[in-house]
Amino acid sequence: MSGGVDSSLSAALLVEAGYDVTGVYMKNWSRDLPGMKCPWAEDLADAKRVAVQLGIPFQVFDFESEYKHLVVDYMIGEYQRGRTPNPDVMCNQEVKFGIFLRASLDDGADMIATGHYAQIVRKTGSSSGCSGPVSKSSPENFSEDRKHCSGVPLLRSTRTALSGSPVFLVRGKDENKDQTYFLYRVTESALERTLFPIGHLTKPEVRAEAEKRGLVTAGRRDSQGICFVGNVGIREFLSQYVETAPGDILEQETGRKLGRHDGAIFYTFGQRHNLGVGGGLPYYVVGKDMEKNEVYVSANLNNDEFWREELVLSDPHWINQPPRVGHKYQVRLRHRAPLIDCTVGGEVVKLENPERAIAPGQSAVIYDGEVVLGGGIVT
Amino acid sequence: MYFDYAAATPVDKKVLTAMSPYFSDQFYNPSSAYSPARQVRADYQAAKHRIAQVIGAKPAEIIITSGATESINLALAQCHSGLDPESGVITTAIEHPAVLETARQNGARILPVDSKGRVDPENLEKYITDDIKIVSIGYANNELGVVQNLKAVAEICRQKRLERVESGVAMPLVLHTDASQAAGLLDINVARLGVDLMTLSSGKCYGPKGVGLLYVRAGVVLDPLFNGGGQEAGLRSGTENVAGVMGFATALEMAEKKRKNEVRRLEGLQRNLEKYIISDIKNAELHSISKQKLPNIINFSVEGLDAERAVFALDQRGVQVSTGSACAANKGTRSHVLTAIGLSPAAADGSLRISLGRGTTKKEIEEFKPILKEIIDHEQKLS
Repeated sequence: MSGGVDSSLSAALLVEAGYDVTGVYMKNWSRDLPGMKCPWAEDLADAKRVAVQLGIPFQVFDFESEYKHLVVDYMIGEYQRGRTPNPDVMCNQEVKFGIFLRASLDDGADMIATGHYAQIVRKTGSSSGCSGPVSKSSPENFSEDRKHCSGVPLLRSTRTALSGSPVFLVRGKDENKDQTYFLYRVTESALERTLFPIGHLTKPEVRAEAEKRGLVTAGRRDSQGICFVGNVGIREFLSQYVETAPGDILEQETGRKLGRHDGAIFYTFGQRHNLGVGGGLPYYVVGKDMEKNEVYVSANLNNDEFWREELVLSDPHWINQPPRVGHKYQVRLRHRAPLIDCTVGGEVVKLENPERAIAPGQSAVIYDGEVVLGGGIVT
Repeated sequence: MYFDYAAATPVDKKVLTAMSPYFSDQFYNPSSAYSPARQVRADYQAAKHRIAQVIGAKPAEIIITSGATESINLALAQCHSGLDPESGVITTAIEHPAVLETARQNGARILPVDSKGRVDPENLEKYITDDIKIVSIGYANNELGVVQNLKAVAEICRQKRLERVESGVAMPLVLHTDASQAAGLLDINVARLGVDLMTLSSGKCYGPKGVGLLYVRAGVVLDPLFNGGGQEAGLRSGTENVAGVMGFATALEMAEKKRKNEVRRLEGLQRNLEKYIISDIKNAELHSISKQKLPNIINFSVEGLDAERAVFALDQRGVQVSTGSACAANKGTRSHVLTAIGLSPAAADGSLRISLGRGTTKKEIEEFKPILKEIIDHEQKLS
């Protein structure tokens, strides 16, 4: 429970469904940064208020050192290598569905639940209280099967859910809030132990349901996700940890020096850059050399660097089975970006049409209709 | 049901009435030369005169501030002797953070307290070496309600001063007390107490928040925190908070006038509730003593209880109380006061502070009792 409305309502729905629920606040980060006070103590208090309101026990799991090591250090390292990492993906993989899950199971929990906008569909037997029998090879039928499915399976199906049958990660109902882009690296065995109680709701529905129950967090602003990047911005955050030096901004096509930057680490592929050159076309970052501390830009939007027909995935992760060769899938290149038709062969994703490229270090997530197959980090 | 008067008191209606003209009709700057402004200046000075009378001081000895925190900072900021990081100020382990943090920045020696929060004056005597400039001891503690024997402390300071004179030590010795919780409940006459500096807060005695004072005995030299137009005898620049001071004066006068009867009334309610807590709430342990305590604070622990849960649960029933320390709860740390009196972490985490005030009635206490019991019993199971 983060102190936000999503996890608050998730807990409430589980209590109503008859689960024996313990609220947990994960303390991952508490450090203040210049100009931004980390709101962890207020978040914790709000989470606890809801736990008290629901009459459930409440605990704090302190993962600060693990989070620093697994998420923050990874993030800083990636930036230092000139890439643009996604810390949310890493947080889900390593912290929420890694150490938090293990700590919860060690503590005697049967399952964990989070307030993610995502859904889990379990291939269960005929006794399923939720979806009908689904074939592992044809997850396309999910939308039909899920019609009567809420985010909280009936209690009696929990045991069935843990029977080793396949478990599928499915997009949240709210197209705007769907968070599966950040969840594609979660393992199937972790999903077996996971509930997403609000994945079948839209954000307005979540707020309305929370208000209906008088939850004290019903009107709260959305949490920032990673609080330290929230208001400060990644630039200020990195400045705290990495020494930077000014360097040259060069036009990619000509090698002409266009200006100076205050550290190549702050520049992300595709970022529009205001070079302060009046009247000219906008320039975009097309590359950088971390060793030389140089940033390359181009004003030509037809520059080959901007467009990709093929993506190569490093460290791909498939939740259930690897994609089938020749089958048509969809890929998502950014959180909330539209799905793009593609085929997948090994670690290569072939796009049906050339697409605006994404920064190395970001994720490409493969979908088969509503089902998340997995994905990888773009090289 | 509000039981957190030690945190904030509602502004009395008479106080509000006394203040309101000075927001609009009488808005003038007291330093201006024309007659309406001079009238405001006269009103302001009359209010300070009334405040001085309540505490037995001269008007020139009253420095108006933005509240207790500022008063404390003004009192302690200059106390570092510059010789040794542990020289300068002696204070106790149970002071408000405004005192402790300021003292620490100015070279503090921290005096321990006993299991009820009392300072041993004889122990204090040993702490006052010749490099000590200020002794700062809170009059009444906001968490425990324990009241210190300030007169005994003042007597020790007086002896030390004489010794210094005799042995030719030039270092002055000044006694400051944070009396924020005392107005309306204890004798705050500076002459009788024998203090040199005293902090008071308007917001704790049914006056407006954002106003306080530092009593500075004539002859004690302080340096201002703010530079500017030289108001408040040069010790606190900034246009005077006229409305605030009008309110503060009225609030202090009322508090002093009501004091004897109100203390008697509160003592009755306090005894009533304490008896109930001891007899009806399982594992409850009171942290106050029979004497030397404020009549409005009840602090108790229930081992195994998560007091913060109890506060949230009471809140959801429309009852407002505090955990052992509101400030500590916000920071997610344990109360330094409860730690200083030797409470175990479990007992400190299970500590609630109930503070009574003018609005508290017998009827309200009776309604509160079963709710308190129900919630503690219930939350104890979940903690």
